Amino acid sequence: MEKNKKIASVMKNYGTVVAGIVIIIIFSILKPQAFFTVSNLINITRQISLLVVIAIGATLVMSVDEFDLSVGALASLGGIIGAKMAVSGIPTILCICTPIVICFLIGLINGWIVTKFNVLSFITTLAMSTILAGFTFWLSGGATIFENVPKSFTYLGSASFLGLPLLSIIMILLTIVFWFIMKHTAFGRRLYAIGGNVMASKVSGINVVKNKNLAFAICGALSALTGVLLASRLGSAHPTGGDGYFLQSYAAAFIGRTVIKEGVPNIIGTFIGAAILGILANGLTIMQVPSYLQDVLTGCIIILSVVAQKIGSGEKQ
Amino acid sequence: MLLDTRKICKQFNGVYALKDVDFSIKEGEVHGLVGENGAGKSTLIKILTGVYSHDSGEIIWEGKSVQIDNPRQSKALGINVIHQDRQLIPSFNGVENAYLGLDYEKKPGGLVDWTKMKKNVNRVMKELGIQIDLSLPASLLSPPQQTLLEICRSMMTTCKLLILDEPTASLTDKETEILFEIINRLKKQGTSILYVTHRMEEVFRLTDRITILKNGQMAGTVNSKEMTKDKVISMMTDNWTSSNIVSNSKVGNVVLSVEHISSKDNIVKDASLKVHAGEILGIFGLGGSGRTELLESIYGFRPICEGNVIINGKNLTEVTPQKAIQNGIVLICEDRRGMALITSFSVRKNITLSVLPQYTRKGVLDEKKEVEDVKDKIKILNIKTNGSEQTVSELSGGNQQKVVFAKALESNPKVLLCDEPTQAVDVKTRYEIHKLLRTQADEGNAIIFVSSDLKEVLEVADSIQILSHGKTKDLFKNEGLTSEQVLKCCYAD
Repeated sequence: MEKNKKIASVMKNYGTVVAGIVIIIIFSILKPQAFFTVSNLINITRQISLLVVIAIGATLVMSVDEFDLSVGALASLGGIIGAKMAVSGIPTILCICTPIVICFLIGLINGWIVTKFNVLSFITTLAMSTILAGFTFWLSGGATIFENVPKSFTYLGSASFLGLPLLSIIMILLTIVFWFIMKHTAFGRRLYAIGGNVMASKVSGINVVKNKNLAFAICGALSALTGVLLASRLGSAHPTGGDGYFLQSYAAAFIGRTVIKEGVPNIIGTFIGAAILGILANGLTIMQVPSYLQDVLTGCIIILSVVAQKIGSGEKQ
Repeated sequence: MLLDTRKICKQFNGVYALKDVDFSIKEGEVHGLVGENGAGKSTLIKILTGVYSHDSGEIIWEGKSVQIDNPRQSKALGINVIHQDRQLIPSFNGVENAYLGLDYEKKPGGLVDWTKMKKNVNRVMKELGIQIDLSLPASLLSPPQQTLLEICRSMMTTCKLLILDEPTASLTDKETEILFEIINRLKKQGTSILYVTHRMEEVFRLTDRITILKNGQMAGTVNSKEMTKDKVISMMTDNWTSSNIVSNSKVGNVVLSVEHISSKDNIVKDASLKVHAGEILGIFGLGGSGRTELLESIYGFRPICEGNVIINGKNLTEVTPQKAIQNGIVLICEDRRGMALITSFSVRKNITLSVLPQYTRKGVLDEKKEVEDVKDKIKILNIKTNGSEQTVSELSGGNQQKVVFAKALESNPKVLLCDEPTQAVDVKTRYEIHKLLRTQADEGNAIIFVSSDLKEVLEVADSIQILSHGKTKDLFKNEGLTSEQVLKCCYAD
């Protein structure tokens, strides 16, 4: 009896992590030679790296109880701008920074519309997403940019350091930095306060508008970085290349909420969420499960995670 | 008798909200219901309309004992209520709103018969002498038109008792006249009306009889014609005089001075007050007088369009909560869970929320210092928690309120604006909060204390500022002051 209770409480607090481990064990048993190898695990870290970066941005916006649905479109735009600049011979550092700055500003505009007019971020950023998609299409002429992409531009996406892909290192660094920001800085505390109770935050003298705008802006910057890294890894940029990350990033963030018992968006959780999605995709591919079935499974897992989160929070009340 | 209640009792958390209330309404009479804040008027209405159930006692309706378990049953008996805040659907037109909760008329084939429904509503309006454009959505109607539409809706079914709860609160004098005309017409038709209000002159103008509630008990039912306003007011209160004030602190200079402030939404109108160092200034007003709104305006939380807030001689132009905190003003909100606390946060994170810069070096939080300071506060204020990391939602109401105070004291305030600080806390915490406020005053701080409980204000405050319809009125020294004097001033129009 006592033991059952203990198991129940572990499942409640760490259910998501346990589920992730179970998935790893299953794949390891089924495909020991292909799945649980150092090279494949490193491969997985590279596969999830872009998802983690963009999902961190989504998590920031979610922590202030808003949504930025334009992350995918921002990534596409970032990739196209970066690649276009690279092709025309502009130094690589500028090719990376310029899209980040532009998307930071677009994020600010998202935040400004939401906070100034007190409208739903859901619909505002959805509309922004459409605007950006149109803009990206115009900028690229609707075609993939792949000719004359310089080596210096593709370096970030393909090089390794001490056996680890640079992309994985970037992912780990950003995860640590944003985990620290959300957990141990006044800025992070304020974001969570706003997400917890806007009115109380205002009464406490927190500048809700400024902090929300910053969350949107950082989200924009991280989305652009994702787009640039994607273009760098592929050596090409497609006008809808980043769109797929939109749903995936929110899936990761929602799974991430179930990782901790407070049930709030959090960076480590988002990382674990992205990892679970990545491991699943990797393992299922190795098992030669067709991709349409993978989609079905991924969707089911997202629904499961939000239901689990609701049940968890319902028990608290 | 249309309605008789026999020994109705209702308790909330072991405290009587209503005790042995014997109350009756005759057919076709206009009956006034008056009483201080918290006397039990709302509770009684809610029991009659099936929102609350009563603990003991009996309700007799048209001679028969009845059970009212939900609003639907109350409506079926013929009891309708019109609340202070209107219950219309803004986007619905007159006919749709009038038919809310009723079955729509149908044409053969199941289509809604709008023509017939419109005819029915028009007939009711004609009987009452009401004129409203039924094609307009409710959001485009003026406040009195909305009230009239609600009355019209009540009359769509047989309505024997119409309860009006502060119906004139948002009406101008002229609009009030229209409402009174309708009330008289309803009375002639034989509908009984229970009229609940703080406005004494309306009670005397409209009603046949008046029931006075005091502390949840019947203070009596009287014939309006045989009474005077002063007599009714004296029945409403125990005539409580302050006695246990230990005001040993010397009152110093003016710390906070509020000059002619008006809020943008026009709830606070031209309010002025001064608080001195070492003083607890009580603000008292009847329900809807704008007490909360005044405090929010001073704090910069509610936008103001006129006036100045001056602290220690410094004019805070365009006050914001941030500026207020920086200049030593804190607000203890009435709505503890909605506005004062982040209930999903720990005790520590709540207490330090408004002074995060104090714990921040280059953006990074010094959590060790936070924990230490919070532990001190928990000890000083005697907060019952299993540590600084416990989530606030797990604490009792009294301890949550102590967290609110701990948070306020973190910023070393010179002025504490306290809005109903003892609401829904236990007796012991209430006493502790009173003591805390006095200590704060003795240390040379200025306190504004708002409570809807007049007895409490007389117990705690050094002086009492009366607020009525968003305006500051008389200022009393709380020396030998009686509750009757205060209420008379509130009811003087």
